[in-house]
Amino acid sequence: MPILKDIAAIAKGMSITFREMFAPTVVENYPDGPGPLKGAKVEPRYRGVHVLQRDENGLEKCVACFLCAAACPSNCIFIEAAENTNELRVSGAERYAKVYNIDYNRCIFCGYCVEACPTDAITHGHGFQNASFNASNLIYRKEQLLAAVPAHLGANAIFNRADVEGGAAAVPVPGS
Amino acid sequence: MADVNITVDGKKVTAPAGTLLIEACKSVGIEVPSFCYYPNLSLQGACRMCLVKVEKMPKLQTACTTVISEGMIAITNNDEVRQARKSMVELLLGNHPLDCPVCDAGGECELQDMTFSYGAAESKFMEAKNHKDEQQWSPVVYFDRPRCILCYRCVRVCGEAMDVWALGVQNRGVVSVIAPNKEDHLECEECGMCIDICPVGALTSGAYRYKTRPWEMNHVGTICTHCGDGCKTTLGVRRSDSGMQIVRGDNRDKSGINGDFLCIKGRYAFDFADDPQRVTTPLIRRDGQLAPSTWEEAFELIGKRFAEIRDKEGGRAIGVVGSNRTTNEENYLLSKFARVVLKTNSIDHRRTADFPAFAAAMVGKPHAAATMRDVFNAPAILVIGNNPTEQHPLLAWQIRNNVRLHRARLYVINSRPIKLRRQATSFTEIPQGTEGQAAAFLGGDDSAAEALGSGSREMWVGLRDKLRGEGKLIIIFDSAIRGKDISALVKFGSAVSGAKFVCLGDYSNSRGAADMGLYPDFLPGYRPIADASTFKDEWGDMPTAPGLNVSQMAEAAAAGTLKGFYVVGSNPVGGLGLDPFAFSNTFVVVQDMFLTETAQMADVVLPSANAYEKAGTFTNTCGDIQLVKKAGEVSDVKSDFEMIVRIADATGFEVRKLVPFGGRGTSADMGQSRGAQSGEADRHVVWLEAHGLEPKMSPFDPMAILDEIQRLVPGYDVSRMNLLAGNDQHTTTVGTGQGGVQDAKLIAPANDNLFTSGTLGRYSRALNSVIENRNPEPAEEVAAD
Ligand code: SF4
Ligand code: SF4
Ligand code: SF4
Ligand code: SF4
Ligand code: SF4
Ligand code: FES
Repeated sequence: MPILKDIAAIAKGMSITFREMFAPTVVENYPDGPGPLKGAKVEPRYRGVHVLQRDENGLEKCVACFLCAAACPSNCIFIEAAENTNELRVSGAERYAKVYNIDYNRCIFCGYCVEACPTDAITHGHGFQNASFNASNLIYRKEQLLAAVPAHLGANAIFNRADVEGGAAAVPVPGS
Repeated sequence: MADVNITVDGKKVTAPAGTLLIEACKSVGIEVPSFCYYPNLSLQGACRMCLVKVEKMPKLQTACTTVISEGMIAITNNDEVRQARKSMVELLLGNHPLDCPVCDAGGECELQDMTFSYGAAESKFMEAKNHKDEQQWSPVVYFDRPRCILCYRCVRVCGEAMDVWALGVQNRGVVSVIAPNKEDHLECEECGMCIDICPVGALTSGAYRYKTRPWEMNHVGTICTHCGDGCKTTLGVRRSDSGMQIVRGDNRDKSGINGDFLCIKGRYAFDFADDPQRVTTPLIRRDGQLAPSTWEEAFELIGKRFAEIRDKEGGRAIGVVGSNRTTNEENYLLSKFARVVLKTNSIDHRRTADFPAFAAAMVGKPHAAATMRDVFNAPAILVIGNNPTEQHPLLAWQIRNNVRLHRARLYVINSRPIKLRRQATSFTEIPQGTEGQAAAFLGGDDSAAEALGSGSREMWVGLRDKLRGEGKLIIIFDSAIRGKDISALVKFGSAVSGAKFVCLGDYSNSRGAADMGLYPDFLPGYRPIADASTFKDEWGDMPTAPGLNVSQMAEAAAAGTLKGFYVVGSNPVGGLGLDPFAFSNTFVVVQDMFLTETAQMADVVLPSANAYEKAGTFTNTCGDIQLVKKAGEVSDVKSDFEMIVRIADATGFEVRKLVPFGGRGTSADMGQSRGAQSGEADRHVVWLEAHGLEPKMSPFDPMAILDEIQRLVPGYDVSRMNLLAGNDQHTTTVGTGQGGVQDAKLIAPANDNLFTSGTLGRYSRALNSVIENRNPEPAEEVAAD
């Protein structure tokens, strides 16, 4: 009897519907959940808004080699390089990024920049709440991307602690 | 030389005897890696990167020092050779820092390329690397010792090719280091050739260091805007807040007339463009002060005033001064604008050589002008006056290397012991200011020898006979020889078979300014005003009496008869010493980059783009015409071309009569109603189509004027395809006008040295920093070894 077959089929389908209706929800309760992430859960290898890392002295790891910009398929990284001096030491090598912008209008979070970076300076963070009504807000500047100075270095961290004991002028870690 | 047959990797190669194995391989597309080998420098055999297997020779041979011989069989790619290369790279990297991410050479480093192509993936060295701090050798040359691979290219180029010998080697073997001539710093010509030739990032440029990376720039090959030699320079540009900024100059494209060469100005002195003192808004004088205004207001004012003066007082009441650094198109346009729109022949420029007299002397000798390339190949050269090392660095390079590589014979006649005497077969010192007499003597006036001082008459006659005996002599002279002395010299040259001439003008387009008729008495192509028929047909009505030259303009202004004064990219007050107060009752318009002495007295100042910020063509002092391309950009400035067209428009002139833009189908009346041969624009289209070119659609397109130049200026009908492809083309003197001898006092040579460059030099940080760093005494010359 075809009509019985049809009824059985519908019943089978609806049974799944009713079972799931009462099962516990697996969707994150974002944005109404608790905590700073408002309930979102992010996997460790999630590729979010980038973070420019610092080394153990609090100096920026980025040496402005432009390799991320070269690797980027959507051409959204803009860098201007400058030379470190004794008075202003920003990174550990000869030069640092004076300007480092990522245009999140264009970034596709592919991670090629992270892959290309020879100093592990650029990494993907977990930030994802970057929607905006104004496209120009989506161009993130270095200040927005930079990791905080490591807490153990404290405020007024200086770079050349060893030399200062010998009488040299203190070179502060920028941003501390 | 006889040809020799060899076999490389199974391929048959035939090359002239004496060819190096590395070059023979290159000729059939087989790459032999090398570091120390560099064409046209002495052989070094230092890096051993070029090792190849040659049959019947016991060990691997260096291809860069092996001369091919009949029946030689070479193998460039077997296991043994590959292993040898791998080891060489490994040794080079033994103490090489892991600097690529910050190193200026990264991305265009030969060591990177070699490691990638031929090197091993890992190193067997465990030892800590030996670090040495970077050293600053001069404002523009830095040295990072650990990166040096001791190829000695820098030492050789500085010594052999530049004849400066400022770099040397200290110590021996693995502890060798490259050292500058003054213990810890360099005192040299600061040409930066060593930086350019360094295969790695050991020598770096003070101007470009740590700024960006090669792949981050656009590279634009254009022509240097400084001296009259016309080197091709490749400018690296990046976007900046106000447009495109030039961050580097080099000659990565070695196709130009300068080959490997650039002097300090072509390499570093592009930075005047972003000097903060640059004018970037139009200024109009209000209540005695120059105040910012808008382009519309400025053009309206200028157009109204010029039209008023022209209609009330006649065109003679307006004077025009053009520039040595604007393009041919701008100069031609200005020449046309003055005559056709302002109705005045009073147009002039700062003359740095007597080109009209040269043109007059060259009548009937259409192919007797030498090219810059000829100077490198000629068997004999005569230089009278001038100091090319300082004033014409490329010319000096050509002469020097011609002598070194081709054993050319160089004859120098000068009042000072100039540096080129070191290459000279014969150096004859004459009293100051007697270059003209020397020319007259050579031309056959024996009595002129009296003035030539020390040398006996027999010596002079001997020299003249010797020069007469030289075939294919190139005779080079500057503004010290003027008027009839030029004709005497050309007359002398005509007696030498195949002799050619170079008349040296000082700025980048001095020759172009002269060729395009920035003269009160000549039209483009040195055609005297009286003989204006072709131009009258094309241009329409224009005044027939010769106009005023610059100094007469100043006199007329003081006398109150010059009511309008239009200066395009020139500084006659600062440069030619005109009295600024003479112009107090004259309406003065100045187009310039900076508030020069002339701009300060102007009623309207229009900010202009420099030669690196626009397109067009330049003619160098030898008459080689080359394409100028737009590299940098600064918002809010306009090219002189556009400004001239806009001013013409503001006077109510029909722009299409000035710039023949537009073509078939762009306008209702482009010939259909008047017959194919009537209007200017029609002929333009006909000519364009005959040459397979596109009609120009904009009145600001310099190419539209280039069409007209090629059509009307004799000698400029060079291959457009070659020109657009970036090749130098030689203009001939076929059919140039009569030229003529003028008042010799009007010639004011620039007298720039290696580190100055008129107004541009004043605003160049690179040049100024080198001058400030200099010992007040000139660096002594080092003997060649
Ligand atoms: S994640 Fe991809 S698209 Fe985004 S900046 Fe990096 S390389 Fe560019
Ligand atoms: S010289 Fe070449 S290999 Fe050496 S650090 Fe610089 S880029 Fe890298
Ligand atoms: S800049 Fe020129 S002159 Fe100076 S050291 Fe380098 S190659 Fe020699
Ligand atoms: S500095 Fe450069 S050019 Fe000079 S020897 Fe070293 S690697 Fe060669
Ligand atoms: S020789 Fe003249 S054209 Fe060549 S780079 Fe130097 S200044 Fe420029
Ligand atoms: S290229 Fe032959 S030894 Fe260096």
